[in-house]
Amino acid sequence: MDKNLDRLNVYASRLISQKEYFVPGHRACQGCAEALALRLVAKALGRNNVIASATGCMEIVSSPLPLTSWNVPWIHVAFENAAAVASGIEAGLKVLMRKGRIPPKRINVMAMAGDGGTSDIGLQALSGAMERGHDFIYVCFDNEAYMNTGIQRSSSTPFGASTTTSPAGSVVPGQTTWKKNMPEIAVAHNIPYVATACSSYPFDLMEKVKKAAAIEGPAYIHILSVCPTGWRLPPQMAIHAGRLAVETGMFPLYEVEQGRYHLNIDLSELRPIEEYLKIQGRFRHLTPEMIEQIQQRVGEEYEKLKKKVRMTNEGQE
Amino acid sequence: MSEKELVRFQIDGLEVEAEKGQMLLPVALEYGFEIPHLCYHEAVSPYGACRLCLVEVTKGGRTRMTTSCNYPVDAGIEVATATENVLRARRMILEMLLARAPHSETILTMARSAGIEETRFPIIDDADGCILCGLCERVCREVVGANAITFVNRGDKREMAPPFWDPMACIACGACVYVCPTDCIKMEEQGDERTIVRWKRTLKMQPCKSCGKPFAPQFQLNWIVDRVQLPKDFFELCPVCRKQKK
Repeated sequence: MDKNLDRLNVYASRLISQKEYFVPGHRACQGCAEALALRLVAKALGRNNVIASATGCMEIVSSPLPLTSWNVPWIHVAFENAAAVASGIEAGLKVLMRKGRIPPKRINVMAMAGDGGTSDIGLQALSGAMERGHDFIYVCFDNEAYMNTGIQRSSSTPFGASTTTSPAGSVVPGQTTWKKNMPEIAVAHNIPYVATACSSYPFDLMEKVKKAAAIEGPAYIHILSVCPTGWRLPPQMAIHAGRLAVETGMFPLYEVEQGRYHLNIDLSELRPIEEYLKIQGRFRHLTPEMIEQIQQRVGEEYEKLKKKVRMTNEGQE
Repeated sequence: MSEKELVRFQIDGLEVEAEKGQMLLPVALEYGFEIPHLCYHEAVSPYGACRLCLVEVTKGGRTRMTTSCNYPVDAGIEVATATENVLRARRMILEMLLARAPHSETILTMARSAGIEETRFPIIDDADGCILCGLCERVCREVVGANAITFVNRGDKREMAPPFWDPMACIACGACVYVCPTDCIKMEEQGDERTIVRWKRTLKMQPCKSCGKPFAPQFQLNWIVDRVQLPKDFFELCPVCRKQKK
């Protein structure tokens, strides 16, 4: 994508469709960047779209009986099988079109889940669906813990974060493991399209969703969704925190198309990780040594990613 | 409830309802009918340049083919979106567009889904992909308000360009880059300079006072400051640093 869309946000933002498919009135917390990300995803996909949603924040807030926020067909399924249901929907649509029950046209199938529903509980269903090569989009809204049930740690929680099941105390300083690299797991399935996105970069996010919808075969999008409640952050700082996550290198925005890496926001110089950590209450207890440790790890990961970009693009330019 | 007058009519046999004064294409799209279109955009006025949104409209017993993007809905009309006539006309238009923009992914996809593999018309050698839909001009005028580009010349010499080929009014905001249906307008950023390649406009970017990173063209920021009458130092920090200082 050479449009470099996040630089266009002054006027191009008025050119985005005004139609909403995830509508207001849902019960997300103040400043929820996940609801924003979901709204942008739904907007980018448009109306020819069927969504299978695993249990999670977005399922709870969008469908309190008898209300719904959805203007597209949407089905809530259990925690572990969003990807399996989406592959069923895709296969079902294919058969109905072949038998002439519905007119043949392009209908996107999307599965969505939080980070718990993706990297912990739903991983094997997702892996299976990606391996079978169904034509669907899987979107993971990563808010880095089980926020819906009260901020329990998941395998996607970053190192050092304090959650209710990894509380920071005098002995254990919060989460003791590093964040699971879920996009890389998706890349390892050799699927046509994998991308990371963040709702603080709305153009980039929407463009990636459109690309994923246009591609035949499975596509995986990992969206960092800032959660002011769980990250112990003032609600008005959610977008800012997302931008800092990208600019400090904590969550680089990249896409992998047919195995070729491409950095969307290529930073020559990363901001110090402290800027990102100090605004969040869940990292309040970190000592300078631990911040240094995180800084080092982030730097290494970023270099590794840059190396992959160079390696996979060799001889192509 | 608002006082809007509603009209009822039929699209492909389906009874639909729309506000008076609305154009046919957005109504049909809202009801889920698939009508291809390139030059229509909901944020700007319709223009009817690409001709792809052709439909057959029957009104008072008389049927004619018309572009739906600039056809106001009327009570009792019958619209057919995919008759043999319409599909044949669309295929012809797609072949002509394909000759003008043979490398555009959007048009190639549209052509393929209409069953066209190649065009019978000679492909223009130095084709740059512009299909003269005028969407960039309308966006620049109606949405941005910069009036930096326009149609130049007539007939087969017609092209999109800045008036007198001098892009002095372009603020390099990139709205045209975003909206172009064939992606023939490109933007590049190198160091502290941003270039809109097609209009040959290169502007220097303003560095952020705090972090030093260039974030937007100086000319554009001054233009916004002038127009909205903001304080002179309003844009000295980049969006990320601005939040931190508060």
